[in-house]
Amino acid sequence: MNSPIARRRFLTHTSQGIGYAALASLLGTPKLSASESLSPLDRVGGVAGIPHFAPKAERVIYLHMVGGPSQMDLFDYKPVMNDWYDKDLPESIRQGQRLTTMTSGQARFPIAPSKYKFAQHGQSGMWISELLPHTSKMVDEMTFIRSMHTEAINHEPAISFMQTGNQVTGRPCLGSWTSYGLGSLNADLPTFVVLVAEPSNKEQLQAISGRLWGSGYLPGKHAGVSFRSKGDPILYINNPPGVPSELRRDTLDTISQLNQLQFQAIRDPETATRIEQYEMAYRMQTSVPELIDLSSESKATMELYGESAKQPGTFANSVLTARRLSERGVRFVQIYHNNWDNHSNVGGRLPSQCKDVDQACAGLIQDLKNRGLLDSTLVIWGGEFGRTIYSQGQLSHENYGRDHHPRCFTMWMAGGGSKPGAIYGETDDFSYNIVRDPVHIRDLHATILRLMGIDHERFTYKYLGLEQKLTGVEPAKPIQELMA
Amino acid sequence: MKSRRVLSVSVYNQGTSVRTSLARPAPKPRRIYMFLRFLCVTSICVFSLVRLIAAEPNEKIGYNRDVRPILADNCFACHGSDSGTREADLRIDQRDAAIEAGAIVAGSPDESELIARINLDADDESLMPPTGSHHKLTQAQKETLAKWVAEGALYEPHWSFIAPVASEPPSVKQTGWVRNSIDQFVLARLESEGLSPAPQADRRTLARRAALDVTGLPPEPQWVEAFVADTDPNAYDKYLDRLFSQSTWGEHRGRYWLDYARYADTHGIHFDNYREIWAYRDWVISAFNQNMPFDQFSIEQLAGDLLENPTLDQQIATGFHRCNMTTNEGGIIDDEYAVLYARDRTETTAAVWMGLTAGCAVCHDHKFDPVSMKDFYSLSAFFNNTTQAVRDGNISNTPPIIPVPLLADRTRFNELPALIAESDAKIVALEAAGVEQLKTATPSVREIADSLPRNESLVFHAPLGEGSGDTTNVMIEGRLVPLSSRGALAWGDGQTQPRALVAANGVFLGAPGVGDFDIRDPFTVAAWVYPEKPNIGGSIIGKIEAAEGLRGWDLWMEGGKLAVHFVSKWPQTATKIVASNALPVNEWSHVALVNDGSGTLDSLRLFVNGKEQTDRKIANDTLVAAKDNPSIRSSSPLMIGSREKDSAADKLRINDVRIYSASLKPREVNNIGEASLAMYTASLPMDRVDEARAKMLARWMLSIRSVEYRGAVAARAKLSAEEAAIRIRGTIAHVMSEKPTPATAHMLNRGEYDQRLDEVAADVPAQLPPLGDLPHNRLGLARWLFSDTHPLTSRVSVNRFWQEVFGTGLVRTSADFGVMGEPPSHPELLDHLAVQFRESGWDVQSLFRTMLTSATYQQSSRHSDAAIHSDPANRLLSHGPRFRMHAEMVRDLSLWASGLLSPTIGGPSVRPYQPPGVWEAVAMPESNTRNYKEDTGEGLYRRSMYTFWKRAAPPASMEILGAPSREVCTIQRESTNTPLQALVTLNDPQFVEASRKLAAMTLSEPSLDDPARLQFIGQRLLSRSFNDAELKILASGLDKLRNHYRANQEDAAALLAVGQSQKLDSLPAEELAAWTMLANELLNLDEALCK
Repeated sequence: MNSPIARRRFLTHTSQGIGYAALASLLGTPKLSASESLSPLDRVGGVAGIPHFAPKAERVIYLHMVGGPSQMDLFDYKPVMNDWYDKDLPESIRQGQRLTTMTSGQARFPIAPSKYKFAQHGQSGMWISELLPHTSKMVDEMTFIRSMHTEAINHEPAISFMQTGNQVTGRPCLGSWTSYGLGSLNADLPTFVVLVAEPSNKEQLQAISGRLWGSGYLPGKHAGVSFRSKGDPILYINNPPGVPSELRRDTLDTISQLNQLQFQAIRDPETATRIEQYEMAYRMQTSVPELIDLSSESKATMELYGESAKQPGTFANSVLTARRLSERGVRFVQIYHNNWDNHSNVGGRLPSQCKDVDQACAGLIQDLKNRGLLDSTLVIWGGEFGRTIYSQGQLSHENYGRDHHPRCFTMWMAGGGSKPGAIYGETDDFSYNIVRDPVHIRDLHATILRLMGIDHERFTYKYLGLEQKLTGVEPAKPIQELMA
Repeated sequence: MKSRRVLSVSVYNQGTSVRTSLARPAPKPRRIYMFLRFLCVTSICVFSLVRLIAAEPNEKIGYNRDVRPILADNCFACHGSDSGTREADLRIDQRDAAIEAGAIVAGSPDESELIARINLDADDESLMPPTGSHHKLTQAQKETLAKWVAEGALYEPHWSFIAPVASEPPSVKQTGWVRNSIDQFVLARLESEGLSPAPQADRRTLARRAALDVTGLPPEPQWVEAFVADTDPNAYDKYLDRLFSQSTWGEHRGRYWLDYARYADTHGIHFDNYREIWAYRDWVISAFNQNMPFDQFSIEQLAGDLLENPTLDQQIATGFHRCNMTTNEGGIIDDEYAVLYARDRTETTAAVWMGLTAGCAVCHDHKFDPVSMKDFYSLSAFFNNTTQAVRDGNISNTPPIIPVPLLADRTRFNELPALIAESDAKIVALEAAGVEQLKTATPSVREIADSLPRNESLVFHAPLGEGSGDTTNVMIEGRLVPLSSRGALAWGDGQTQPRALVAANGVFLGAPGVGDFDIRDPFTVAAWVYPEKPNIGGSIIGKIEAAEGLRGWDLWMEGGKLAVHFVSKWPQTATKIVASNALPVNEWSHVALVNDGSGTLDSLRLFVNGKEQTDRKIANDTLVAAKDNPSIRSSSPLMIGSREKDSAADKLRINDVRIYSASLKPREVNNIGEASLAMYTASLPMDRVDEARAKMLARWMLSIRSVEYRGAVAARAKLSAEEAAIRIRGTIAHVMSEKPTPATAHMLNRGEYDQRLDEVAADVPAQLPPLGDLPHNRLGLARWLFSDTHPLTSRVSVNRFWQEVFGTGLVRTSADFGVMGEPPSHPELLDHLAVQFRESGWDVQSLFRTMLTSATYQQSSRHSDAAIHSDPANRLLSHGPRFRMHAEMVRDLSLWASGLLSPTIGGPSVRPYQPPGVWEAVAMPESNTRNYKEDTGEGLYRRSMYTFWKRAAPPASMEILGAPSREVCTIQRESTNTPLQALVTLNDPQFVEASRKLAAMTLSEPSLDDPARLQFIGQRLLSRSFNDAELKILASGLDKLRNHYRANQEDAAALLAVGQSQKLDSLPAEELAAWTMLANELLNLDEALCK
């Protein structure tokens, strides 16, 4: 146990790693210094035998557009629709698909062609809407999936499905699974961090609740730690007023000495764990302020993300923070950006939604690339479902609304072993049904796990007597064509 | 058969791999047998290290103990009860089926295909479990199966499905250690494992542990001292008596129960709005404080509404199943959520009372437990018969609800119905006498008219009673004016006239210059109307001009309901309000619109028969929001029955239209209707007046002539007002309410709400005792759970209470007593306690007393070397329970120790300190639980179980300390230790403030020196004094703190400013600050945070 390698193995291979490690340190074995950074092999926690394969992606930054972005106004170019303006969606296309009760009562389903101009970009020739000028420049780094589909038609179940693989809440989310399986790369920071970005337009916000980053049946330490855009970045991270850091150190020393006496008297391993966790809390207190202080970022970097990156709480600011987290070994960063639920006013709102995210997304990819991190960092972008080609409510050439549409939508990935410049899947002329290469949420999850070196079939957790999986019981497969 | 025998060779011929070749000769049976014996002996030695209950080397293999776990883990997924995933049409979870198929030949492992298959080589495609399944049997497991088949392949029902039988406690060597039967079971096991129990904990430790277990709070220091000094042999029992008599007992037990009940203060989904359901929480506390028998406690929660003449409390108890998450999200499909609600209730019931994870059977027959899909849906049918609507309406009082008066009001509230009935009876009698009087002393029209206050504001009156012709006489500002119609008028029987106008499209009476009101003009419009058909839509009376963008106002019918339009331009600047209930068809109703002129939505009020229609829908509200104060004045004449061309309330009879240029009071509105009717009735010969009209006229006559009658009516009104006031003072309870039809549910293909299969009736799972004579409703289900033969309820309940005390249940998987759950560590003890609990009349306190008086409980929690190595989780109970307290207890401890804790029990939930933005970050803008506003005063210092629980964002500090979101039933909280928890107890203002108050408490006694002050804090937090080593560390720590705050007065001031509670200026700031930090250190001690 005294050799560093043996110690590392010990840390890695005990499921309750910290408790026993802390016990070991109390019993006289050397411990890692707080400043010692861990290489991927030095991870803390995780499940023995995972990853199953050599991982491409060590880290994930997942950008979730809450509400469901309109695929045919952004990525799924449907020029034929211009001839269909205000004509009814043919029954042969709709095929009795269930609708939300928001439009199921509509007398007509008039087609609303996208009002936005599209152009082809890059080597891949991906069609992108004029609303995403920065993203357009990065298409050759990106993998587009135009054939995502889900079964959920309302936000709560749909977001839950996308994040946890199940429409019913209470299952662990993707980030928690990753934390559980792969463990931490930085003992001073949480393994899984969530940032909720504030959109500049707030016309049709959806609920974003802690259950989306809950650990479900996995141990609670795998739940996402929500970094807040206002106030303390982590709840209670700051000492009370009048308690400077040195004094906190003194008080922790007193607590630790007394706890060690207690440990000697009772010999409860939990006491040892507590001693260690108070030390980790202190390390977090000292590392987080530096983490969220963007003043060390160069002007060139700030320019990649755009002006709004300086403003706390914006999407660009959150994305830049995400890069800093990834850089420091945070395994999974989840960013939520709200207000994509365009039941009405696509013309009025979609441009501002895109402006919120466009430059920052492109900037993130470029920044990761500049730092040599893109290959090992998987960036994922997408909502919980798509939107309908027919207009909800009033239709004009300039404005229209779109209802929820589960049967097809577009997502993209970049880096982390995803296939640069790939365009996968195809929908019909109405962007209503998938005609080629459907990708279910389960397949996407299987693919993400595969990029992280995990076989989704073998990545299980026993709960309620069953070997539970992120991908559930229905068939799922990683999509080879999405991977480099 | 031959082929099987050949295949089996590979089992024992290790190294000589036999593929699927069938050509080898069979070995001699004797050799196999000896080899088998050898393997079994060795395998069991390996096994006993990893299993809690192990077969002795010469013991027979037990199916439940030894075999089923192997089969369940590796085989049942494909060869179990789930017909949907069954492979090769083979099931081996049933003996007959397995033998029938040849998988097992009882007594002959070498002839059993099962044994043959599991012993094939890894690359053999016939190997079981298949290579691709990720399941692999160990050699030991293979041998266990072989031995089991050799012994006859005997099956047993799963242990928890066999009703518990109390067995004699086993004999033990150290008899002196034993205090009650629990100890015999525990000690016998320890002795057999070669472990010794820990010595008894000292009295202070025990005092603290027991108080935390019984009340959730530390003991008062003087209680501890009294107990320590008590030489009575019954000192501990007396101490427990004191604890059990505290009402904090009910709070503490209730707090656990609320996790099981998934109690929270919001609906949970989408808006996540407030739900006023705390009456249920208070019921739980009170039930525990009464030590209500657990069967009654359960039956009332599951089916209190179905008991005969249920009491208020029994109905409140049914809030248990109103605690589920609900939604009102636009766009949802109601059927889908109806299924989800029933599913949640089924799973919660199964988990809480039966320890079954029924949820798996939603989509398929349970792979392991004997719960089929049919069982699941039959069980769900019990909860599929509610009158509750799917959408919660985003309101706090989603029906069905009942009023819950304050305790002080309950007697009076219960008296009121009788008093009201008595008062009504008196009024009825007086009215009956009045009807008799009418025959001899009919009031004149003049008498009635004179009884009404003169109303100069009547600007228009159209009796509409001519009965023929196309002209009608109306009164406009006191002048009689004939109005001619466009189109032929139709007439029907009248209400306040012999005949009445029947509205029809294209036929209208126009009165120019009348009713020319704007939004800010107070006015009232009233009429008698009679729909001759349902769903009438159109204008009754109004002044709307289509050519001006439908500008104007009207009294309107919308789908048979009364409605009003106020329009400047439709729909951009327009208000439309529709009453929720349709007017009765083929009946006269008196309707009115009152505008008080204040220009808000509330200024427009609709009345039907004198009652304001408060339940109404705002169909359009763009007028009140308009900033430039647009006018609704139109150039249209006042129209009765129709607009210029169309939009009549077709087939609506109209009598007695009145318009007042004033906003009439509700009483006046009512009088218009009644007086117009009374005057007409008085004009008729009494022998032609029907009973209803006679009564009405009698009422008028009496209210004019009879002092007694007026007194009776006033008394009745007072009673109503009193009742209403009590309702407002009190709260409400969300209750269960059953449809009268039998409870059924549809099986659903893969659990999809829209893929219905067969309908099933409410029933209990087939593998459990039948319902018998009990009704197939929730009450039957609840009673069935507590039938003497039920194998699960008593075990599951006892186990959960055990878990509350010992941290881990005797069955560790306390929510899963099924095949995939863990078997009990002490099966006989579990059964003993289960039977005892049932036979005690389900006496919860008695069960806790048994646990707390056991020597097992009273052990020191010091971990022995042996225990650390062989039983680190302390499943064998070789030392006392010790673990980090639940979130609520940690916070309550700090409030209690500092003297801040409020003793108030129950009431609406409170909002203590919480960092800004926790709710705001997740809530929708429309949510009424979006903005967290901290309480002031007492609300900051209530026990944590009263903290407002928003499901989408549970109380932040408690969530970090492992409290669940309460979205679904939680039987077992996680016990994690994370750095984020340390940040809470170090930095949360609640804990900093408590530290300051604790410091102030010890400093406010001037005579104490430092050590004495430290001991004071020790006694409050740890129920003990510090030893010398600890005092030395503390003294040195205190020095540093003092030095800092002496040198940094501004830090002291800043620290002491934390928290709303009163600051003690009399104490020197640097000293108080130093002691505040010291108290905070002590609050953070492992010992303080642990029970």
